[in-house]
Amino acid sequence: MTATQTRTGSSTVRPKPPSKLRPTLVVVITGAIALAALLAVDARWERFPQIFTEAPAYIALMADGVFQNPFTMPWSEYWTKTFGYMFESVQMAWMGTVIGALLSFPLSFLAASNVAPRWVVLPVRQVLNVIRALPEIVLAIAFMIPIFGLGALAGTMALGIGSIGTLGKLSSEAIEGIDTGPVEALSATGANKAQVLRWAVVPQVLPEIVAFWLYRFEINIRASAILGIVGAGGIGSILGQLFNGRMWDRIGITLVVIIGVTVIVDQISAAVRRRIISGSARPSVEASSGPVEAA
Amino acid sequence: MSAPAAQATTGARRPDRPRKPPPSIGGLVGLVAFAVITAWAAIGVEFTLAPLITNLTRGSDVIWYYLHPNWEILTRPAVAEGFLETLYIAIIASLIGCILALGLSMLASKVSAPNSAVYQVSKIVLSLIRSLPDIAYGLLFVAFVQTGALPGILALIVFNIGVVAKLTPESIDAVDRGPIEAVEAAGATRFQRARFAIFPQVAPNYLSYCFYVFELNLRASMVLGFVGAGGIGEVINLLMTRLDHSSVSAVVVALFVVVFVLDQASRTVRRRLT
Repeated sequence: MTATQTRTGSSTVRPKPPSKLRPTLVVVITGAIALAALLAVDARWERFPQIFTEAPAYIALMADGVFQNPFTMPWSEYWTKTFGYMFESVQMAWMGTVIGALLSFPLSFLAASNVAPRWVVLPVRQVLNVIRALPEIVLAIAFMIPIFGLGALAGTMALGIGSIGTLGKLSSEAIEGIDTGPVEALSATGANKAQVLRWAVVPQVLPEIVAFWLYRFEINIRASAILGIVGAGGIGSILGQLFNGRMWDRIGITLVVIIGVTVIVDQISAAVRRRIISGSARPSVEASSGPVEAA
Repeated sequence: MSAPAAQATTGARRPDRPRKPPPSIGGLVGLVAFAVITAWAAIGVEFTLAPLITNLTRGSDVIWYYLHPNWEILTRPAVAEGFLETLYIAIIASLIGCILALGLSMLASKVSAPNSAVYQVSKIVLSLIRSLPDIAYGLLFVAFVQTGALPGILALIVFNIGVVAKLTPESIDAVDRGPIEAVEAAGATRFQRARFAIFPQVAPNYLSYCFYVFELNLRASMVLGFVGAGGIGEVINLLMTRLDHSSVSAVVVALFVVVFVLDQASRTVRRRLT
């Protein structure tokens, strides 16, 4: 024992580096897949340099539209119209989130294995999985436009149904992660299942679930812009037209409005989310001070 | 003297319940704001559920087509090529986008950015990139380099940078500072610091985001096809304009299966990573 110690101590042999076989293999395989894809795809790479020749000209045209005096015709009209469509996108996103929240809230309890029995949890989870795998644009063209016709209502319903998938999954995972103490306490006082849900489960998960709703609202704003391309309302509906008509000055205005409104809504939503999550600590502080006062 | 006695007697009959906390002002304001915004939005989108009852017959034809998919369409070479193109676009865009995003992430975290000016600027640039929807990038790149797979790849690269470079800096912010101090003490350069102290710590999260982005790309490719940026979406768009609903249905079901299988595969990989 001491002999080996002195031997390794005296020699300047470095420790053997760990085998690099696995990482190397992963890199080689990934590279091979990417190379195969690059060779197989018919992407006409020779057009790539066009970005450097075409884009600056178009960006100049867009900037030209943005930097016109917005209070003179026709620019004032363009800005008003664009804001009108963007607000429609925000409205679609909001209503879609409200619908998704209302429908996903009960479903998330049915998908939580510590609340619902196993034979309920498994099918509900599958439904949530299926919804999550369908892009909103498919929901819009396949189901909502045939029923609700072209327009913002179809897009709203597509966003609402699409939101159920993610909201239900995230919320049910939050419910599964609750502290079991309050549940045991209520059961010990003889509360029935509904009372346990109302007083032990919901208060614990509500801040987190509301934060998920806000998060989904941010996602829905981006998604609502996409839906317009198939005629389901919002800013996307003029985006497609403008690009077809190559009206670059108005495209510039539209992109600026999208970026501006999205960034502002994101900031507000993130601030509210932070408050909800940190505010959730407050009631528990009051509760802990309660018994002290009573004593 | 008598007051406490009276209290004691009532206490004996019925134990005093703790008083309910008064409703918080913030909560009330929040509720009112919620109601106002919801009313504004509902009026704006002319929200009604009436079409569900009245128009279900109108939609029922289309839904009938969807429930009877035309499976033969899947054997057409154009459809198979569309699927393969989607897959190629997703692979190439994920790889390039993730590599570029790693560099940008290093600039957009306080821990790894060279100075706070670079950090602030990268943060702003990334949030601007993220606020445009993928469809806008699709339209822009179609205008720049014409239709085909190339604008699709370019649009998704930008979109991927937005997603990965949002998530990774948050992981970088949370790294253990010990290894950084250690390599700094050993005289590491900025690159060596990022390579040997920061990257190994965030690698599992970063790779998991890359797989997540790959899943998103398969879905996004469908949207991009609607504006001529390649992939299976172009096939779906063509079938849609012909109102060939049963063929659309078959292609969508096939896409669903492909996405589902790749999702599961990628999720198992992601679970092993983290």
